[in-house]
Amino acid sequence: MRHTRDVHTLAGPYAMDAISPPDRARFDRHLARCEDCAREIASLREATARLAAAAAVSPPPALKARVMAAAAATRQRPPEPEPEPALRTWPLRTWPLRTRPVRTRPVRTRPVRTRQGRPTPSRRLAMAAGAVAAAAAVAAAVVFGVSNGGMQDQLSQAQASSQQVAAVLTARDATMMTGVVRGGGTVTIVMSHSMRELVFTAAALHALPASRGYELWLIGPAGDRAVIMLPPARHGMTGPVVASGLRPGDHLALTAEPASGAAHPAGRPTTPMMLDVVL
Amino acid sequence: MTAIDRPDPDRARPSTAEPGAAADLTTCLRLVARGDADAFDTVYDHVAATVFGIVRRVVRDPAQSEEVTQDVLLEVWRNAAKFDPGRGSATAWVMMLAHRRAVDRVRSVQKETERERRTAVADIPFDEVAEAVESSLERERVRRCLGSLTELQRESVTLAYYGGYTYSQVASLLGVPSGTIKTRMRDALIRLRDCLGVAS
Repeated sequence: MRHTRDVHTLAGPYAMDAISPPDRARFDRHLARCEDCAREIASLREATARLAAAAAVSPPPALKARVMAAAAATRQRPPEPEPEPALRTWPLRTWPLRTRPVRTRPVRTRPVRTRQGRPTPSRRLAMAAGAVAAAAAVAAAVVFGVSNGGMQDQLSQAQASSQQVAAVLTARDATMMTGVVRGGGTVTIVMSHSMRELVFTAAALHALPASRGYELWLIGPAGDRAVIMLPPARHGMTGPVVASGLRPGDHLALTAEPASGAAHPAGRPTTPMMLDVVL
Repeated sequence: MTAIDRPDPDRARPSTAEPGAAADLTTCLRLVARGDADAFDTVYDHVAATVFGIVRRVVRDPAQSEEVTQDVLLEVWRNAAKFDPGRGSATAWVMMLAHRRAVDRVRSVQKETERERRTAVADIPFDEVAEAVESSLERERVRRCLGSLTELQRESVTLAYYGGYTYSQVASLLGVPSGTIKTRMRDALIRLRDCLGVAS
């Protein structure tokens, strides 16, 4: 990791703007991936602000009138739709880790634990699409109906699912994948092909404003399925949450959405996906 | 550069010295983002002296310094919605804009004036802050903390922050390898931060 350490020594020059444009760009990319570094830069900037304060000199009084007049004639920039800068820079790209495709074979239908109520038209469509596929897909669609329940149902289900988590973690074919999140943080996934479930946890995800949250999705040939709105991080840790009903060809995606959740990943395919596991 | 230049010391005092004022500045910026001209008036009073002071220190030329100060304050007006309190104080945000603009200005004219500036640097006293220090408690604190740095650390910070030089320029001015200067700058800022009791 010599390269990373090299970049990191630019923290001092960066905080004082004592840096060439290429070095700045390099460090900006580094900052987008390194939450600790961003915190350090923020604290160093507080120190340099004090250096500025020590140089304070009142400007000529006439300047104020000029500034106020110029402001009155200047249109302000609206807040950006995606205010968290790190997220905007996430490229849409395939996660480098891949696992073998799931073999198609009959899946035991598991008892549906929650969810009554009528399926929404889109869900009915998704279920119909599943029905025309292989028997395995039909079974999976049933599970999907469960996992795609109301956000609150999902949350309580996820929190109450330590047995489910344990089952995946101890599955005979459990596979662990880890990765660095573009925009900050790391994720760890433990997946069981035979159970068609995975456990998702994340650490040090880029903090979002209270109005927004991270939503986990399964995206595949059958369409987008909201898995869960991730609960807020505690001590930097998010999850674990369980995604059920994985199907061949599914991708796992994480996006920033309004805190109330979204029915579909906003703005796909331009939505930044920091995670894209081919199952 | 004395207290006489600053008829209202309370105004010029940095808001970071007063938690109440820092919170006010954050609130004001939020209002500015919605186009509130009165709030912008208050923001101006809070930050104008500090912005002008650091810009003038870097740019030197008084007329250009006024121009840059105006640009910085307009940038605050235009981009107030971009300020994110989760990523640092309002003062630090404004000072970042101010310093960056000042540095951009001197670097854009650097080529034609390279020779003059190289001559001028010999005249920059490394104890420049002391020159500016009068009665302000804040200045005294910063001066004391700068005094706690090693000579190389202090020179690196002074040349980079007040002089507007890049670290490689600082390295060649001081005749020290640039790798050394980079780490000294970081060490120096960490020490300053801790000495000043900056909340991170």
